[in-house]
Amino acid sequence: MSQTTLFEQHFWKESNRTLEYYLQSMNGYQAAQKVLKEMSPDQVIDEVKKGNIRGRGGAGFPMGMKWSFIPKASEKPKYLVCNADESEPGTCKDRQIIRYTPHLLIEGLIIGSFAIGCKHAYVYIRGEYVREAKLLNAAIDEAYAKGYLGKNIFGSGFDLEITVHRGAGAYICGEETGLLNSLEGKRGEPRVKPPFPAVSGAFGCPTAVNNVESIANVPHLIRMGGDAFAQLGKVDKSGGTRLISLSGHVKKPGVYEIQAGSMTLRQIIDHLGGGVINDKKLKAVIPGGSSSPILSADEIDVVYDVEPLMKVGTMMGSAAIMVIHEDTDLVKLLMRITKFYEHESCGQCTPCREGCHWMESILHKIIHHEAKPSDLDLLVDVAQNIGGKTLCALGDAAAGPVISFVKKFRPEFEAYIKGQKIYA
Amino acid sequence: MPKCTIDGKEVEFKPGENLITVAKRAGVEIPVFCYHPGLTVVAQCRMCYVEVEKMPKLQTACSTMAAEGMVVKTQSDPVVKGRAGTMEFLLLNHPLDCPICDKAGECDLQDNSYGHGSAYMRHSEERRTYVDVDMGPVIEKNMNRCIHCTRCIRFGEEVAGIHEMVAIKRGNNIDITTIDGNPLQTEYAGNYADICPTGSLTLRDFRFRKRAWMLKKTATVCEGCSKGCNMEIQHEGNVIYRCVPRENLEINKYWMCDEGRFNYHYTQDPTRILNPRSGNASISWATAIQELKSATEGKKVTFLVGSDLTQEELTTVQEYVKAYQKDSSVYHFGTEGVAEIADDGQADQILKMKSKTSNLFGAEKLGIKNVSSMKSTSDVVVVIRGGRADLESALKQVQGKKIIGMGVFLEKDAAPFSMILPGLAFTEKDGTVFNHSGIEQKIKRAIVPKNTVKTVSEVLMLVANQKTKEAVV
Repeated sequence: MSQTTLFEQHFWKESNRTLEYYLQSMNGYQAAQKVLKEMSPDQVIDEVKKGNIRGRGGAGFPMGMKWSFIPKASEKPKYLVCNADESEPGTCKDRQIIRYTPHLLIEGLIIGSFAIGCKHAYVYIRGEYVREAKLLNAAIDEAYAKGYLGKNIFGSGFDLEITVHRGAGAYICGEETGLLNSLEGKRGEPRVKPPFPAVSGAFGCPTAVNNVESIANVPHLIRMGGDAFAQLGKVDKSGGTRLISLSGHVKKPGVYEIQAGSMTLRQIIDHLGGGVINDKKLKAVIPGGSSSPILSADEIDVVYDVEPLMKVGTMMGSAAIMVIHEDTDLVKLLMRITKFYEHESCGQCTPCREGCHWMESILHKIIHHEAKPSDLDLLVDVAQNIGGKTLCALGDAAAGPVISFVKKFRPEFEAYIKGQKIYA
Repeated sequence: MPKCTIDGKEVEFKPGENLITVAKRAGVEIPVFCYHPGLTVVAQCRMCYVEVEKMPKLQTACSTMAAEGMVVKTQSDPVVKGRAGTMEFLLLNHPLDCPICDKAGECDLQDNSYGHGSAYMRHSEERRTYVDVDMGPVIEKNMNRCIHCTRCIRFGEEVAGIHEMVAIKRGNNIDITTIDGNPLQTEYAGNYADICPTGSLTLRDFRFRKRAWMLKKTATVCEGCSKGCNMEIQHEGNVIYRCVPRENLEINKYWMCDEGRFNYHYTQDPTRILNPRSGNASISWATAIQELKSATEGKKVTFLVGSDLTQEELTTVQEYVKAYQKDSSVYHFGTEGVAEIADDGQADQILKMKSKTSNLFGAEKLGIKNVSSMKSTSDVVVVIRGGRADLESALKQVQGKKIIGMGVFLEKDAAPFSMILPGLAFTEKDGTVFNHSGIEQKIKRAIVPKNTVKTVSEVLMLVANQKTKEAVV
């Protein structure tokens, strides 16, 4: 099936990131112009709702809905914050957008800000994206110079400032309320919800926090019209295209774009990724970033989108697929994933602070053949005491892999405990 | 009022109340660590899980507002398992040194562990340990016992108005400490020990002096200033070991200042004068009463009463003067520069007032004027004080006169007095005081006074009733 793509054709060429290219080859800033001159904020939100665009950051929350939660009557300033803290292991799609089509993001921010009544938008970019932050700032400067940002944009009377804020390298600052705390200069710890950011977000004001890819889709959506955008999606309630970060044991890893729900996980691996590396047997797939529960090789004939994956007990997350072949030591892989979450736990809530470290300690014992047979059940029990019980989703992210790995690949863990060696 | 159901009981609630408050009204106690009614809600400890119908996950009762028709279960299996899980997590790295910990007996961690935890431990790895910083003279820190509830951080920021405690590092290595390891600066540091749910922050003044469960508790009012913070004197064997604030949402909420908290020390000072004395010589009460009578009877006398006396004591003096010392006058003294209620006001943004005595309002209510308005003075001056009224500002007005003291004095105060008749401190008597805004409160006797001291009314009664030369005491 031939795919309609919105982003992919513009990637991989450095000259594409200029404003000139954006204006000439991508109908640059026409959508923003149309919105500011011809549409009302409600019309924009309705159009985005029609487009069925689900959040691309991980939770998959409908974007139009999120924008409509921003109270219009509020006296307080409103903020649009773009979450560019792309830190879920395996994910690298937002980086592509910022590198090659930064103006798409800026135009999306203009449209989004207009829709929710924001006068100052922030881009919170992860600290490691040093080059990308520079590129984005350069693009923002270009936009200011042309009058696409600043006062009275396109003579419409709408003003917008954009500030790029660089993070300091914490995974937890990708969680929207952790991000807001960090943006405000506080410790990067998630906040209690409710109140949700739509009511009290950045600086205590109504705030929409959206992923880079979500915002970058908006100009496309406006240009095509919500209905046409929704039609790109091949499953219900999911419009547009999805950028997939394909990594691990595939022949052609990379960032690919598919129409939402148009392919199964197996098709993505075989057709886009070119199959498993060295033609080895597939063992397992992590379908949506390292926090999503693992799927075994026989579970991958599932349509790759939010709801179908939810039905098989995992999640699409940030659409980062990690392919694992037969020679992979899953116990060590789980150890690595758990170590990551242990390291990135902010430490404010009990189950995550204490539990992630405990899980790592148990896995450490298993790998060093020091564990008792009962430790495996203990590991799962600890994970269950974390999952669903923490303040933010990091606890679930840490517990999900542990529970699914042990459930689906228990013999490998037992072999370690018995002192057997499966892998060299 | 709207209603919700907690454990099958229907309870009314005010909109905006959280489930902990509402459950309490239904007689259901929900265990907490990080939640404190006087601080913001952070839902970090994950102890107060409850099951709310129609919600997929367990909810934290502290951050869940009651809603009309809400059905809450606090004892269901998932809740019990959730709390046990949290208890287990909290004890993974806790040293379990209750036998040598001052908090034992009044420790939330201990209580909740008994109530909701397991007696067995599944964790066999090494525990996390910390190096402690010096927190200054008030608080002793033991970070190994900390459960990271962040009450102390929030207290500093939200109540004491100083951001001095912080969380540094993250995850398993998170450390709760002061900024740059500096000693605490707030004058409300004692509260850190009160709100700490474990033995991580303890009071240096109280450490290793008494087990918490042996203390008897007497509800009283602080005499440190005109705020009238409610407090509890905790004592055993007629010795006070500490004072802690008592909740009163209209006055001090849950807090008190260090000055008030440690004020009681002077009442147990070894240099407190506990026997009547004339000059430097100890005398009997019979002689003392006799001398007081002969010094005052039929003469013009200036009575200076401390505004740290109770309303009962002030009234007694006033009536005594009216009946037996017709030409004499009464003035009150207390704090330099605070002559009347109009001069009083907040000394900081939190609790402290300018008037350093507890009953200025009461003295004024009785029509007694401040000593600063006194035009002339008689040859004999009787100074009656509870123990806190400022002597210096009163005595500078009556220099060169014969001054007789009644009440609580330390050795260092004794020099100007020709005679001292020892009285009762605020910890040793019952009485009434009015705070700066006129709220009437009772102080209660916690300590039985030494039999060598006498109340103001007893002394004045003995003087008034003495007919023979030999006083009967």
